[in-house]
Amino acid sequence: MSFLLPCPHCGQRSVYEFRFGGEVKDQPPLDAPESAWIDYRFYRTNTAGVQTEWWLHRFGCGQWMQAVRNTVSNEVLESFLPEEKGR
Amino acid sequence: MKFFFQGKTVEAKPGDSIAAALFRGGRRIFSRSFKYHRPRGLLCVAGSCPNCMMNVDGVPNVRTCVTPAQEGVRVKAQNAFPSLETDFLSASQHFDRLMPVGWYYKTFTHPAMWHAVEPIIRKAAGLGEVLPTRRVEYEHQWMHTDAAVIGGGWAGIQATWAIAERGDLVVLVDDQPSLGGSSLYRKNANDLPADAIAKLENMPNVRILQRSSCFGMYEGNLLGILQRNPHSHAVERLVHLRAKRIVVATGSYETPILFPNNDLPGVMLSTGAWRLLDLHGIVPGKRAVVVGSGAVANEMASKLRESGVEVAALVAATEIISARGTAQVTGIQTSTRNFSCDLIVVCGPHVPNAGLVSQAGGKLNWSDAQGAFLPGDLPSNVSVVGGAAGEMPPNAIPPLSTDKRAFVCLCSDVSCKDLCDGVNEGFDVIETLKRYTTATMGPCQGRMCQLSAIGICAKETGRTLGETGVTTSRPPNPSVTLGALAGPGHHPTRFTPMHSSHQRMGAVWMDMGGWKRSRYYKRHQAASESESVLLEHKSVREAVGVIDVSTLGKLDVRGRDAGKLLDLVYTHRFSELRVNQVRYALMCDQGGVILDDGTISRLSETRYFVTTTSGNLDFVQQWLQWQLVGKDWDVHICNVTPGYGAMNLAGPRSRDVLAKLAACDLSSAAFPYMACRESTIGEVPVILLRIGFVGETGWEIHCPAESAEEVWQMLLDAGKEFGVEPFGVEAQRLLRLEKRHVIVGVDTDALTNPYEAGLGWAVQLDKPDFVGKSLLAHAAKNQPREKLVGFILKGAGLPKDGAAVVMNGQPAGRVTSSRFSPIQNGAIGLAFVPVSEAREGASIQVRVGGELSPATVTMKPFYDPEGLRLRQ
Repeated sequence: MSFLLPCPHCGQRSVYEFRFGGEVKDQPPLDAPESAWIDYRFYRTNTAGVQTEWWLHRFGCGQWMQAVRNTVSNEVLESFLPEEKGR
Repeated sequence: MKFFFQGKTVEAKPGDSIAAALFRGGRRIFSRSFKYHRPRGLLCVAGSCPNCMMNVDGVPNVRTCVTPAQEGVRVKAQNAFPSLETDFLSASQHFDRLMPVGWYYKTFTHPAMWHAVEPIIRKAAGLGEVLPTRRVEYEHQWMHTDAAVIGGGWAGIQATWAIAERGDLVVLVDDQPSLGGSSLYRKNANDLPADAIAKLENMPNVRILQRSSCFGMYEGNLLGILQRNPHSHAVERLVHLRAKRIVVATGSYETPILFPNNDLPGVMLSTGAWRLLDLHGIVPGKRAVVVGSGAVANEMASKLRESGVEVAALVAATEIISARGTAQVTGIQTSTRNFSCDLIVVCGPHVPNAGLVSQAGGKLNWSDAQGAFLPGDLPSNVSVVGGAAGEMPPNAIPPLSTDKRAFVCLCSDVSCKDLCDGVNEGFDVIETLKRYTTATMGPCQGRMCQLSAIGICAKETGRTLGETGVTTSRPPNPSVTLGALAGPGHHPTRFTPMHSSHQRMGAVWMDMGGWKRSRYYKRHQAASESESVLLEHKSVREAVGVIDVSTLGKLDVRGRDAGKLLDLVYTHRFSELRVNQVRYALMCDQGGVILDDGTISRLSETRYFVTTTSGNLDFVQQWLQWQLVGKDWDVHICNVTPGYGAMNLAGPRSRDVLAKLAACDLSSAAFPYMACRESTIGEVPVILLRIGFVGETGWEIHCPAESAEEVWQMLLDAGKEFGVEPFGVEAQRLLRLEKRHVIVGVDTDALTNPYEAGLGWAVQLDKPDFVGKSLLAHAAKNQPREKLVGFILKGAGLPKDGAAVVMNGQPAGRVTSSRFSPIQNGAIGLAFVPVSEAREGASIQVRVGGELSPATVTMKPFYDPEGLRLRQ
């Protein structure tokens, strides 16, 4: 694993500067059954293909971001700050 | 210049490699082979084959033919006893019938048998051993460039020019001592313009990495480059080079021809002979036979004659029956006659050095016209030029052999017969044949043997070379030392502001999350660690003690919504915490598992002071930031850990000590338990938290780091009359254990929820929402499977942390912490037990040193169960 990951603040950086935060999942509503929360906390989709993920630019700007990455080829299609995505 | 070989002095000329100097001095045997201990001499003289590998200054498997001789280096032979000339184990070649291909897979089929012989085989076979070396330094460097050119031959130089003239930044990587490649020795092969190298060196946008091997191409256009002796303070440097475009100009290398005894010293590749003659001015023999035909062989023969070598004959590869000799070549037998000679120069087929191309995702396809596998299907950012692309005279494919003394793989002694046997045993695909025979898997990584192995596999299976295909090229090739991968030995250590004071007082250090902490202090009254710890324990319980807790993680959380954030991530309620109050803070994940704990003090309406456990600060800060993502809240989180020193003053006389120094009323009426104040000690501004991890009246004092040593000293001076003693982590752990205070990560693990750890009181399920609420609400309703309880051991001894709790002969739980407590005069501890046993007075059994020892469960603290002392 040695791909470059574009940080919205810092530009293209080695993936070793980042902490992986797992796939982006929707949190279940508070009153969801126990199973839904267990699923949210402990299960991973383990996508072979494109998925959206959390990354923290740990040895850089220190900010959390999201990246759309192909987990097979490690091609990063885009990266963005989640709060700016919807606007 | 002088260096040492086997303890004897060897003279070297400037520019000599170690092997060249030894060859000039008359040495012909340079190593003993892996399996049969056959003598081996110089073959490629280019750093490709394994024949010249020696131990240089303690580093094994150094290719001495490309390693410049340096003053005073110590060179030792490998895999030979007692000497290279007389190696007792060379007798093993006469027992080769007993050691066919894959012999130990077939022979030592029982594990016990293999374990018995493995040490013997490991000692007899093999390459170098790792000797104690002088401490050497390795470095890492990261570089970015527009283009990288791998290979400094004529093709690489031209490519570098072309790119550099466009204004792009180019890095040229060459593994030889100087640029020029084959133009340096076969001067008539390609005429290198005299000023070519100087012109390149003067271009400002060209960077040349000499004596540097590119050992792999990785994703993201990352090249791994091993640079030898980058400067006098480092032996090797690992360069991580990112290049937008990569030009592979690695040239081609010559490979041996197969005939019996083709591995004897004195059998040399033609390029090896050229290199000895032109680069080192060494005449490789007296009387030579040149094997080959056409222009290449004629050119070689006339070069040898020019240099004063008698050329006995030029023979075609197909005519050879075998080479003769035992320690060295003495002659050659052909189908027509015998020649006596001391040198056989082999003009073998050239193989494009295109391993990097296939690592980049390209393919190697067989070309009948060229007699070689040529690179194709290249990725768009990779190109290949020169010999690596197959720009070379077409190869005549040499004859194959089936003889047991015709060696294909010189690295691990795999003969033609071994490969034939392998195919006959069913390993008829090149990839499985490779794994079974280990051909192409040695230090040369297939450079010398790949083409021959493919040829034999093709012939034995009746397939073409193209159908047989090539084995996969994987990095690293060539090999890389572990030291270079590991890099420089920098281990950053964090010192607290009071470090030198601890040192003066006799601190015994322990490592904790990158910090140095005092485990205990050596004292003349105490003979051992346990005596010191008991003394420190006694002073806290009976007088007053002080401990450095600067390693606590400290976060300053500010803003109108700071309380809202803390309510969300911690299980307790902090928006309602009154100013000047402290509260225990417990953090869980969405699964209700405990992540961290600490304290939160409210210093003002909009400012909280948060502490975390020592090793967990980064995680907690990142977790808080993650919870804030996408929320429009007014919160600022600042890590102030290095900015604050901290110490905990505790014990019945702590108030007397602090009252002499602090500018505030410390009476319990004015400053009760779980309160906090901003005050001063002397001139130093401090935050005082009245909390009691160790179970006595006490204050946690936070102050600017630059004043922490001063405050620490003031406490020790003021406390002298009350018998103050510094205490370390070990005493603190004992003190807190007597209070049954949990340490997250020691007494809890990756599945523990607060109800199991006895921390359910810190969870406020009536809050509207917080991280983990949903699953904690379920956990609160259901009985947990196990619970953390205290236990008092009835017998003698001390269970180890992690010792089993046993019920009915079955493991039923585990000890998380245990210490000898002077209060109980016996071992106490915390343990997870089944919930049925989690009641006052229950009897459990704990494993102590192989025996089961009875213990009594308690749900209360061992010391001051009502908590009166810390409220005094």
